[in-house]
Amino acid sequence: MSDQDTSRRRFLQAAGSATAAVALAGCSGGGDSTPTDEATETSGGGMETTSEPEETTERPEPDTRDGFLQRANRHTHEQAPWVFLHRQYSVYGQSSDIEWQPRTDERVSAYAIEPATDAGDDVVMTQSQMDSGLDPQDHRETPTDNIVLQAYEGLLERDREGAIVETLATDYQRLDETTVQFTVRDNVSFHSGDSLTPEDVAYSINRIVKSDVGIESPQVDQLLGVEGAEVASSDDRTVNVNLSGLNPIVFASFATYCDVMNKSWVESNDQAYINQNMEGTGPFVLSNYEQGVEVAFQRNNDYWDEPAAISTFTINSASESSTRVNRLLSGETDIAVNVPPQEVSRVENSEDASISAVPSTRVIFNAMRYDVEPFDSPTFRQAVNYAVDLDSIIENVLQTFGSATGQPTLEGFFGHNEDLDPYPQDLDRAEQLVEESGYAGAEIELVTPIGRYLKDVEIAQAVASQVDEIPNVSATARQVEFSTLVSQVTTGNIEDKPPWYLLGWGNATFDAIQTIQPLLASDGALTSYKNDELDRLLDEAQSLPSESN
Amino acid sequence: MGYGRFLLKRGVQGVGVVWGVVTVVFVLRFITPGSPIDTVAPLDASQETRQRIAEELGLNQPLYVQYLDYLWELLQGNMGYSYISSIPASVQVFQKLPATLELAVAASVVAVVISIPLGVISATRRHEPADYAATTFSLLGISTPNFWLGIMLVLVFAVELNVFPTSGRAYGFMESLAAITGPEPFFTVVTAWLASLFLPAITLGTYFTALITRLVRSGMLDELSEGYVRATRAKGLPESLVRYKHVLRNTLVPVVTVLGLQLGTLIGGAVITEAVFAWPGLGSEIIRAINARDWPILQGSLIVIGTGFVLLNIVVDALYAYLDPRVIAE
Repeated sequence: MSDQDTSRRRFLQAAGSATAAVALAGCSGGGDSTPTDEATETSGGGMETTSEPEETTERPEPDTRDGFLQRANRHTHEQAPWVFLHRQYSVYGQSSDIEWQPRTDERVSAYAIEPATDAGDDVVMTQSQMDSGLDPQDHRETPTDNIVLQAYEGLLERDREGAIVETLATDYQRLDETTVQFTVRDNVSFHSGDSLTPEDVAYSINRIVKSDVGIESPQVDQLLGVEGAEVASSDDRTVNVNLSGLNPIVFASFATYCDVMNKSWVESNDQAYINQNMEGTGPFVLSNYEQGVEVAFQRNNDYWDEPAAISTFTINSASESSTRVNRLLSGETDIAVNVPPQEVSRVENSEDASISAVPSTRVIFNAMRYDVEPFDSPTFRQAVNYAVDLDSIIENVLQTFGSATGQPTLEGFFGHNEDLDPYPQDLDRAEQLVEESGYAGAEIELVTPIGRYLKDVEIAQAVASQVDEIPNVSATARQVEFSTLVSQVTTGNIEDKPPWYLLGWGNATFDAIQTIQPLLASDGALTSYKNDELDRLLDEAQSLPSESN
Repeated sequence: MGYGRFLLKRGVQGVGVVWGVVTVVFVLRFITPGSPIDTVAPLDASQETRQRIAEELGLNQPLYVQYLDYLWELLQGNMGYSYISSIPASVQVFQKLPATLELAVAASVVAVVISIPLGVISATRRHEPADYAATTFSLLGISTPNFWLGIMLVLVFAVELNVFPTSGRAYGFMESLAAITGPEPFFTVVTAWLASLFLPAITLGTYFTALITRLVRSGMLDELSEGYVRATRAKGLPESLVRYKHVLRNTLVPVVTVLGLQLGTLIGGAVITEAVFAWPGLGSEIIRAINARDWPILQGSLIVIGTGFVLLNIVVDALYAYLDPRVIAE
């Protein structure tokens, strides 16, 4: 198993062209078709979507992990457990004082910001909300990520294109089926001056995955399959990580998650202190923390790599998007996170600010429960997909900041199947499929959260009214508070979920499994679907090494 | 009735109010969908992970046990810890209190400074252009939505003219005090503080300005037709003395009540203004806590607001007694 996979790198780099700032002219944002030398599926000329669920066994059995994941995506496209909607974009407003390119994974690293003018040396960013505490292992949401990643680092990280690069590890490899080894970088010090040791690394991993070490980390599922870590040898600075199985995406997980903390600092302070102070190895040092108001950083001049290009980085928040844009336009902030479509023109028309947009890792979809009428019919589920006019939703509701999808896995992700196009709108076909399904006259209701995802309510209303146009189906949309929906979809019991609901799913590991497994596998934490063939494909995929490591 | 007894009675009432607030929040916990675990744990967390987090936060206990535990801790002066940040609720809430108090006080100052002269002019020049102007102003003030006014003020004075900052709170009252002796230039700090306070205070104060203008106007008109006014005029007192010493003083009694109670409303109710101006006060904190189901913070905030209400009521009563000695007799 090679620890560096060139084909995956090329794959992601090519996809990285999608991450170039998107012009407002309505570029779909999809990358170029990616030249892969992995065994892709031999699709029978298949650009056209099949009307009946095809027996997938007609195709030769895949022999790589990538192949199985692509097959799994084909299965979901054909069986349509979702109404496939779109890939959400991250849209930022940025001032002309800085040079900065947004990333696909929604993370804003101040290390990547360069001053364009003298004023660009002190950079301010305004998010929609502040952190939920500064402990890097005690949260699970982007606003907090963006704050802690300035000061904390993991063993591996991703570059802007999503390729894995070494950070606090200088090397990583598989030793055997259930063990991987990291070599910890030498001459790295924490902000307090303490040196980074392999003990710190092992402790940081264990603090996440073991409930008897430190806190109950909500990130335990991000390192799923990691059982623990121990120092293999202090002399050659190696740490062994024990896995419960093969875990093909272990390095992909470490490239996104697991910030390294200073063991002695964590053990000698209480949780409230750890949540208000920082002791990392990263390019910025915490200089001021005002809970819920502002986090200020200064450049770490003793950073193990090149020091950052900017002197200070301050993060504050404004929950109202118009307030964030006002700050940007009046020069009070340099980066406004989440500029909604209705505010875009104000930024575009300004002299000193511009819009940077990039496809995010988040897919927006409508789950249809496989176990209730009328959604228990794959034919009916396909009909709903044929009713939706994705292009018009992206054009009119999202002002082109989105790209249509036809499978759970996004373009550029490992396991994405290039042969699958989004469902086209075809009302006649939808009507005919509804007839075939035996559910003519069905009345269905789409449940949507309010304000959780970009334009979620408007999207749900558009979907419902388009589905309602099928002559033999009537559809409505119902809004609920996000926490209400969450409490229904996270019980682990499919009966608690609404029959048809809108959800968004971010996947920062760039691997298909992290979307399909939780949302569509029989034992997925949030699943709305159960199918033996899909489960088999996922099991096969997870029993093979990923080309990425 | 003596002041001691009066204060004791009010103190007991205050404790009752706070206890009521805590109880209501616990009832809300029981009937609100969604759990703090949903905001702490990721969506795809296994049931086992959720269970462990629930245990860690003490959420797996029966509700009455949580309730009694909380009351017991509260008696010892402990408001619990934020589920989200683990920071003590008292710390997190009291950090947000100054910003909200500043905003509430500044909005009240705006209201008083503008409304009392307006009301007086309106009443003394009844049915003249000045009166029509003032009543039109108050009609507009009462019917303009806060968020719209705030956004407009920002667009004009901050984005276009660049006179004030668009939002946020660069410094506060405490920082300004510290700057007198501290290293930062006092004048700069105070100017920055007042500049950031100006637009939100106007936004929040407009409604009350309009309300109190009308109150002063009608109160003054009522008072002017009272018998004692004719008597003082007959005694030959100058008109200005009649108006501003006797009539206005009596007019202000209901105004003080309204102001005092409104101040309480302002502390808890500045939510929209705080959102528009990204003002880091209790209003924003409460919204965040509600969305995150961060109950300890929500309880702490409401306890502080409840206590504030009780204290304000006491102050209003004391002022009442000063303005209208008849109150004590009752």
